Amino acid sequence: MSANTAGLPDEAPRGAIVPRVLAFFSGSVGVAVKVALLAMSNALAAWAAYVLIDRGHWIALGILVATTAGIDALYFGRHTLPAKFLLPGVLFLVCFQIVPIVYTIDVAFTNYSTGHILKKSSAISQIELTSLQPPANGKQYFMAPAHDSGGDLVLVLKDQVSGATFIGTEKGLTPLPKSDVTANALGITAAKGYSIIKGNELFALDQTLHAFHVPTTGQSSITPQTISTAVELEPTLRYDSKTDTFTRISDGVVFRDNGKGSFVHGDQELEPGWKTTIGFHNFGTILASKALRGPFFRIFIWTIVFAASTVFLSFFMGLFLAIVLNKKGLRFQRFYRSLILIPWAVPGFLSLLVWQGLLNDDFGVVNRIFHLSIPWLFDANWAKVSCILVSFWLTVPYFFLVSMGALQSIPEELNEAAHVDGGAATQIFRRITLPLVLIATSPLLIASFAFNFNNFNNIYLLTQGGPTQTNQPIAGATDILISYTYKLAIATGKGQDYGLASAVSIIIFLIVATISGVSFSRTKALENIN
Amino acid sequence: MKMKRTPALLALVAVAILAAVAGSVKSAVAAGPTITIWADQDRKTAVTQLANTWAAARGASVNVVVHDFGKIRDDLGTVAAADAPDVIMGAHDWTGQLAANGLVQPIVLSAATKAQFPAYTTNAFSYGTAVKKLYGVPTQIENIGLVVNTALVKVPTTFAMLEKEALAFKKKKAGNLAIAVQQGTNGDAYHMYPFFSGLGGYVFGFNKAGNLDPSDIGVASKAFLRNAKLVDKWNKEGLINSKVDSSTAQNAFLKKQAAFWITGPWNSDTLKKSGLKFKIIQVPKIAFPSVPFLGVQGFLVTKYAATHGVESLAQDFVANYISTPAAQAALANASGRWPANSKAGASFSDPVLAQFGKAGKGGVPMPNIPQMGSVWTDLGQAWVRSTKGAGAAKAAASFTAAARAIADKIG
Repeated sequence: MSANTAGLPDEAPRGAIVPRVLAFFSGSVGVAVKVALLAMSNALAAWAAYVLIDRGHWIALGILVATTAGIDALYFGRHTLPAKFLLPGVLFLVCFQIVPIVYTIDVAFTNYSTGHILKKSSAISQIELTSLQPPANGKQYFMAPAHDSGGDLVLVLKDQVSGATFIGTEKGLTPLPKSDVTANALGITAAKGYSIIKGNELFALDQTLHAFHVPTTGQSSITPQTISTAVELEPTLRYDSKTDTFTRISDGVVFRDNGKGSFVHGDQELEPGWKTTIGFHNFGTILASKALRGPFFRIFIWTIVFAASTVFLSFFMGLFLAIVLNKKGLRFQRFYRSLILIPWAVPGFLSLLVWQGLLNDDFGVVNRIFHLSIPWLFDANWAKVSCILVSFWLTVPYFFLVSMGALQSIPEELNEAAHVDGGAATQIFRRITLPLVLIATSPLLIASFAFNFNNFNNIYLLTQGGPTQTNQPIAGATDILISYTYKLAIATGKGQDYGLASAVSIIIFLIVATISGVSFSRTKALENIN
Repeated sequence: MKMKRTPALLALVAVAILAAVAGSVKSAVAAGPTITIWADQDRKTAVTQLANTWAAARGASVNVVVHDFGKIRDDLGTVAAADAPDVIMGAHDWTGQLAANGLVQPIVLSAATKAQFPAYTTNAFSYGTAVKKLYGVPTQIENIGLVVNTALVKVPTTFAMLEKEALAFKKKKAGNLAIAVQQGTNGDAYHMYPFFSGLGGYVFGFNKAGNLDPSDIGVASKAFLRNAKLVDKWNKEGLINSKVDSSTAQNAFLKKQAAFWITGPWNSDTLKKSGLKFKIIQVPKIAFPSVPFLGVQGFLVTKYAATHGVESLAQDFVANYISTPAAQAALANASGRWPANSKAGASFSDPVLAQFGKAGKGGVPMPNIPQMGSVWTDLGQAWVRSTKGAGAAKAAASFTAAARAIADKIG
């Protein structure tokens, strides 16, 4: 089936090289290479372990130690040859496939989105912090933390407006004669009877200072803001840890945990919320919301049309070109072949952006050269045509290469025999060439379909899913499921909704998996022909 | 035999590397409290210099990390606490999202310092559904203006004059543009805002508390719909065409194929180098003043500063130092934008930036609430649909649909 059957005469010398190479690497050189690679892997693990210990990720550390020990044991053991070959693949599979899938599934069942990214405890302290407001006539102070004669922490304060000076303790404010305090541009430098805290000792007090409140009138208190200033603030909300509720001080309204990561009262919500598990809520939203569900079927159909037409058009074009350029004795054969590969050699990102410019209907080259005025990107239907055309252009070289490989693997005798039997060229193609090529390429066709089904780049860089349609809030005319998901994730509601987008991703995954699964089982039937 | 020796060898190598790692980490810890700042490549040098000056005066140390400006907002939500910055550079319209996420700390500016900033710049960095708090110290401001090639046309004083001059210039030669304002397939609500505001549109209204109200969407406000026929007229005359994208607009102006170009201070070097004679003005009043969106950039203190135990220091750097006229002027120079601090502005001179500044008079800061994310595409696309030349949708219908779509998305 593959191309190497053609090279029979080469077999003998190659056969001699392989054992020699194997022998070379089985000796002391092999051991040295193995030790070097394992030492590198262990050093990497040691470094990673250091970071993990530093950050207290104990589960990850456990996995790291177990994996590293496992790798060492495996490669120093004698009786585990198949596992030695399997392990690198398995590791990469776990890292790049299984972990992201597990993570996506995990996120799909949470409310991870703008306003819901912290832990609950952090959210509570953040709500408390942002609920502080300056009281009427609230004052701002220059501030310097100091030790009093007894060694206790106090704040030396100077009103920024009146210049009045005070000593602040957790009990309250005590006036201090102005002449006792000296200050410069950087703040208070000295106070009679107190030793000002400076340098690293001051920096180490950070958390103590932010918890230090000098009560003034009512609920208000003075709290340090920077290393040299303090401000008078009063709370507007109070948290009760027993009932797990916030109470608004001005009117006694109670905000409760709504089980979806927010404290709410009616439609009022306290910001920020926190990340929490919300079960099948995201899936429910997809089913319940008309804005989400409405375009889903239309987008689904277009996604299939886009992926299928890209794959089939490019496949047949690729095959056609391969047959034409496979003709013996063709002049400049290599030159033509390399020419066809150009779209593949240019980075897709670039060519997509270039195409966007070429297809511009008033200023684009395509319309100008051909004296057309086709709204390539501005009309819903033409934009779809453009998407397929550009994808076609990008995919043809791939199928050209694949078909060429497949064609070269078809034994010449088969064609000759067909000729002798009096078969017409079309007959030979239909009965012999195409089935044989299909056996080799059908798994690639399915893979290419799955790839194009999720070909975010082509759509997003060419049309951004647009043009938008007046009756559709989110999905544009050329949005495929994955670009629609992306729009759901970044441009709806209050910003990003990763939970909802993950839920849609899972649904897309199920669709692609089903289509691929069915197709692969059909391919097996094709193989039986052989 | 070999098998027994190799594990020992392996352990030796591992231990050596572990020791090296431990050694390097230890030397980093000994230096005392360090403030980590995320700044973009362009301003890294200026920020590093300022931060070092500040750190030397306070006895702390700083670590300026280059971070792509466009990624700072979202990366702050996903970065591990240990690697997180204490201070970031940011745009004012990130404020709502960052604060709603609980990622930034409120800042208090002293009354004297606050008075040095135009009110809109500090308002732009303020957010809160219940209590409005300041989350950033503004450093620089920017807005778009109408650049007029004075060698080709007269500087218009009314919109009618602009329309007449622009259309006359367009008719002179095939390939000429009337007003070069960028849209393209994806639309550009930002560059179209002067026309939008001039026709009476707005994005979000204000509630009683004076906060932006995401349920009051003015994309199809009564005033706008009353004037929407003008858009259809402009489309018919070819005054504005949505097929002009950013490079088409810039090339047309630089090649003298357009006499009017709507752009911002990021192109001030391009303009200076072009050798063209130009003047920058605000788009003349249509039915209402055609004001642009205002953008403010600044510095914010993150929640991680508290986690790292350096919040007082980070607050000191941002509130007491970055706000000073000297620091503001240095940052403005490095970024090629006008400083936000008006004292710094008084001693700042750049003829082109000054003209852009004047063109922003009465401008509206871009809404800083997270719901703004649902607006950009639809507002931009409403313009694209109604100014794409032949076959364009009627503006009234197009903007009404956009308003409904935005309301649906915000939910």
